[in-house]
Amino acid sequence: MSTILIEKEEPVIEAEETEMELSPWLAELRDEVAAHPGVNHLLLSRLRTGRYTKGDYRVFGLQHYPMVGTFTRYMELLLLRAPSSEQKLWLAKVLVDEYGEGSDGEDHASLYLKYLYSMGVEPGEEESTPLCTAVWEFIGNHLRICREEPFLVGLGALGPGHEWAIPKMFHKIIPGLERAGMSYDDRLYFDLHTEQDIDHANWMSEALEQLGQDDEARAQVRRGALLSLGARFRFWTGIERCVVARRQPHSVDAVRRGLLGRRRPDREESPGNRQELFQAIQDNWSGKDWPVRLPSDSELLEVSQ
Amino acid sequence: MRILLVQPAPFECGRIGLENALWMSEPGALTAIAACVEDEHEVRIIDMRLEEADVLPRVLASFKPDLVGVTCMTTDAYQAQAVLHCAKSILGEQVFTLLGGHHPTLVPGEHDYEYIDAICIGEGEDTFTELVAHLAGGGDPNDLHAIDGLAFRSGDAQIQTSKRSQARELDTFPAPARHLLDAYKGQYFFASAINMAAIQTSRGCAFDCNFCAIWEFYEKKVRFLSSKAIADRMEECEEPFIFFLDDNFLTRPKRLEELCDEIERRNIKKYWMIQGRTDFVVENPELMKRMRDCGLMMVLSGFETNDAGTLESLKKDNTRENNLKAAKLLNDLSIITTGIFMAHPDFEAQDFEDLYAAINEMKITIPLVVIHMPLPGTQSWRENKDSLLTEDARFFDLLHAVVPTKLPRREFYERYAAWNESTEASIDSSLSMRFMARRPRLMMAMRPGMKLFGERREVLRKALNDPENYLRDEDEIIGELPIAAQRASESVARETEGVTV
Ligand code: B12
Ligand code: SF4
Ligand SMILES: [Fe+2]
Repeated sequence: MSTILIEKEEPVIEAEETEMELSPWLAELRDEVAAHPGVNHLLLSRLRTGRYTKGDYRVFGLQHYPMVGTFTRYMELLLLRAPSSEQKLWLAKVLVDEYGEGSDGEDHASLYLKYLYSMGVEPGEEESTPLCTAVWEFIGNHLRICREEPFLVGLGALGPGHEWAIPKMFHKIIPGLERAGMSYDDRLYFDLHTEQDIDHANWMSEALEQLGQDDEARAQVRRGALLSLGARFRFWTGIERCVVARRQPHSVDAVRRGLLGRRRPDREESPGNRQELFQAIQDNWSGKDWPVRLPSDSELLEVSQ
Repeated sequence: MRILLVQPAPFECGRIGLENALWMSEPGALTAIAACVEDEHEVRIIDMRLEEADVLPRVLASFKPDLVGVTCMTTDAYQAQAVLHCAKSILGEQVFTLLGGHHPTLVPGEHDYEYIDAICIGEGEDTFTELVAHLAGGGDPNDLHAIDGLAFRSGDAQIQTSKRSQARELDTFPAPARHLLDAYKGQYFFASAINMAAIQTSRGCAFDCNFCAIWEFYEKKVRFLSSKAIADRMEECEEPFIFFLDDNFLTRPKRLEELCDEIERRNIKKYWMIQGRTDFVVENPELMKRMRDCGLMMVLSGFETNDAGTLESLKKDNTRENNLKAAKLLNDLSIITTGIFMAHPDFEAQDFEDLYAAINEMKITIPLVVIHMPLPGTQSWRENKDSLLTEDARFFDLLHAVVPTKLPRREFYERYAAWNESTEASIDSSLSMRFMARRPRLMMAMRPGMKLFGERREVLRKALNDPENYLRDEDEIIGELPIAAQRASESVARETEGVTV
């Protein structure tokens, strides 16, 4: 009886996860990460169930791209602060991989560019596109965490906060990319991260097992993960607004003015494009303040409370 | 059992539409089914139209429901699915996911996904009660064959259990569990009528308009709540405004007289809004006046068109004269008229002009011009399937042309987007000083909502008046060729390819 409006979608084949056995506190943290709103933002489910087009993903990708080049920066910052050479070694292993070893000379950034260009982004557009505040916030928060917080908080942000979170998030993104007509090659960045990051996650887990010996250390790791995921949540919300604004610019105005339900009023205009962002990262390195007000820790932690 | 019921946000969070700027109605489906199980189970409702997006994952993780149920009309389809997908993603296989409402009832095949465990077809109360009892009693979540009114996946196919009977008297259903919406008090509205409750006093419709699936959903039967039960529910509402959700409230004059008797006897002081047909208004002027005196403040009617021929083709069984007379009568009684009119995809420039002129002549207080379309499950859908330009559920919002337009699309939308400005005169002449002076108390009651509505209306108008808004929505999605023709040419191409290989 039913009329099939929508083409059947192949069930996603979950990547075979061969994650290592974890001790109870880490297993608990992994579950907490897996259920965190940052990893389960409705946008991600919407990408999975909705009908977003290449044009929508272009908006998404242009905002997401700056994150790709900054992960290594957080790692470098953290590396400097690692208390022992053993810890430096773990971090360095992941870092080398992130630089692009084992990806046929293609580092993450160039893979991502390939994805952007396959959606019709013109070369240069990735540098000049205004980035939403949420992107600036996310990056600013992570720079701060890796520089100012205790080492284990930083490790929590980059380990559980990233390496555990990313495969789960990208699993939701891939079917939508496929539906929008992107080939495996074009979206390799995403597919790769559902596979490769499992190795990274395992290296990180090993490190965390060794370092998380007492309650204080464990609390620091957890705090880092939750800060990162809180920022992640706000990041997805920002991206969703950009995607909506592409087709419905007037709606953003309504949200900004707090006219729709209880939605938090939106933030201001874009603080700048990717070039300006990377300049700010340099400046921040040499001691200048981050140009965008960062959400407080409690604002970030509140996302999962 | 812990049960979470969710009203999805239509479209993406933060997108403005009629539903969050003009008419935000409480999730009546969810309070109706919640009432059936709340004595024995812990039930919560969240309304995602009013929440920030983090609320859903947060509640899922902390409340850990055993069952998540979502309601869905066509435009909400993907958002409703996203809610259930998110539930499975956070809680895994142990959570039972359930979808109900008009869209899944009319086209269950579109919701056949691994993250949806079952679909409730048709009226929900009894099906939901039995399903919850089955699951709470440790029943196999994959063996639901004994419960009527469900669709679910069994092996390779989606199967449907026996039809759920829709014969139960409405008075025998428990009153909707409106207290579960306490967190949203004051947030539901129709225009300036802010702080509004909703009550459904009948189900079904005796007419059979070809663009509407109500009569098919309720199998052409109509059932009514008794006047006593209606009055009981009105008394239970703290809100000053009530919207009666019935698709066609204005039938059976006797029942309405009885309702007025109850309201007068109990001295109920509420302002209420209804949906009803213009022929009834014209045939029952005295009753309309009596209802006005009992609190009736607004009648929403499908005027549909200014043209007799079109009324006939819609099988509306009503006349243009009735529309004119009803508008006048309601204005004379100081009852707000909300009139829905349809622009048709085959409109030419002059048709738009004529429609707007007719609206202004009728002096409709709140005119709304929508685009005629075949909604899934309707007769018109079955007849027009081959001309559909898209099957994307989001476009079935009556604001997009889902079949080819006679005018070039840009021009069509330019002329369509002008409706708001072009019918301004209608509002002005309806809401005259005389109109307002006759109902000073109603005006006072609406005052607190006027500023907010004014602001919402302003942003909504910006969106509605901008033809680019419609065209941008269509970009990359709606092409020139109907889907059926696209599929046919693709399959020919495939065959030809097959031959050359
Ligand atoms: C209020 C209302 C709205 C409100 C919001 C709806 C809401 N959820 O709050 C507003 C004003 C925003 C709205 C807008 C529109 N609406 Co409207 N709306 C209604 C109305 C009048 C009442 C809804 C209601 O509360 N009903 C009361 C409850 C008790 O009934 P119910 O929803 O059918 O629920 C029962 C069963 O369906 C089932 N059930 C439903 N959900 C679930 C969930 C679970 C888990 C289970 C187990 C069971 C279950 O059990 C319930 C109890 O028996 C209905 C008409 C109607 N008869 O329902 C139209 C109706 C739902 N709307 C309709 C339409 C077409 C629209 C619009 C597209 C167009 C328009 N201009 O009106 C827009 C689209 C908005 C958008 N998103 O873009 C159509 C939907 C057709 C379809 N194919 O989906 C309806 C049916 C009207 C009609 N004449 O056809 N609408
Ligand atoms: S449009 Fe109104 S009158 Fe016609 S069938 Fe639907 S509910 Fe009944
Ligand atoms: Fe990585």
